[in-house]
Amino acid sequence: MNENSERIQQFKAEVAEMRLRDPATARDRLFLRLGAVGLLAGPVVGVIAYFMSHGSTNPLQQRDAIVLALIGLTLAVVGAALFAVAAISGFLRFWLARLCYEQQAQADRLLTTVTSTTSTTSNANPTRVPS
Amino acid sequence: MNTATAITTISTVTPAPILELRGVRSCYGAIEVLHGVDLSLRPGEVMAVLGPNGAGKTTTLQVLAGLHPLTGGDVWLAGRRVNGARPDDLARVGLCLIPEGRGIFPSLTVRENLLMATYRGQPMAGVEGATYSRFPKLAERRRQVAGTLSGGEQQMLALARGLSTDPAVLVLDELSMGLAPIVVEQLYGQVAEMARSGVTVLVVEQFARVVLGAADRAAIMLGGRVTDVGLPDEIESKLSSAYLGG
Repeated sequence: MNENSERIQQFKAEVAEMRLRDPATARDRLFLRLGAVGLLAGPVVGVIAYFMSHGSTNPLQQRDAIVLALIGLTLAVVGAALFAVAAISGFLRFWLARLCYEQQAQADRLLTTVTSTTSTTSNANPTRVPS
Repeated sequence: MNTATAITTISTVTPAPILELRGVRSCYGAIEVLHGVDLSLRPGEVMAVLGPNGAGKTTTLQVLAGLHPLTGGDVWLAGRRVNGARPDDLARVGLCLIPEGRGIFPSLTVRENLLMATYRGQPMAGVEGATYSRFPKLAERRRQVAGTLSGGEQQMLALARGLSTDPAVLVLDELSMGLAPIVVEQLYGQVAEMARSGVTVLVVEQFARVVLGAADRAAIMLGGRVTDVGLPDEIESKLSSAYLGG
């Protein structure tokens, strides 16, 4: 074993310099969770805002409740969008992988058929030598 | 012996691992297939991982190459934790995976396939020269479409392409699959030669006593775990019981 070879030292240096990025799957999972939290939290904030407004005759407090309700609505809409994007991208990734696999299988089937047809044709029609 | 001398002695005897998997877990959907894989490779070492179908060998390699996400544990490369590193980043620094099924471009010619190996900036002439000196048969087939090569030639091409990228860590998945024993011996000869030049090799095989001849150490993998690690002779004696559950 050659621990000190130049290539290994170069490899160590390059690995040390390598920039690690978050993988897309982790980002999708984060979006999915954030979206779900937004979806749940938005209506809850809205309901709280309703009771705040309903339980008070002070217009200032009622306006605060309206702002809070709008924040809840925004949370729900953004949460739904994040959830949909993460879920759809996960589905599309699977769909793309499946499409690639099916096209590869189809190409293999075509190649097999063409090869067998060619060999059958060449066996059935041997070149005739004129007598 | 004082502490400093002891540490120096230990580090001389056992070099730091260049590649290490610590308790790696991974899933396909809700099903966990790797239940805490531990493996460690020293620089320039050839490690063979053997195990039956479904043991998690290929998934381990995919996790290592960044092609499959891990759900637990850590992957360490040259002393750095590289969880979540992208496959292209890992390939760029010199971790080369030759996947099961060869991974060549079947519609491209041999020469065009080799051209794909020049992404690290190697000159094409150098890549071709090294390839054809290792595998003279490929020189005769340089203009042939890779999909029409024999299984052995395709594997030679895949290996040649991998070696042309000047890898520091070579990861081979089922190199011998579907090949004649004489071709397998030739391929493992090349792998052993690469290891002598300092390349670390991790090779996964399902049925491969030939790989034990080329390996410095071997491991048995069963049910998503590494159950045994040792010298090839020790592992060979345990293989039958591992496969048959005896």
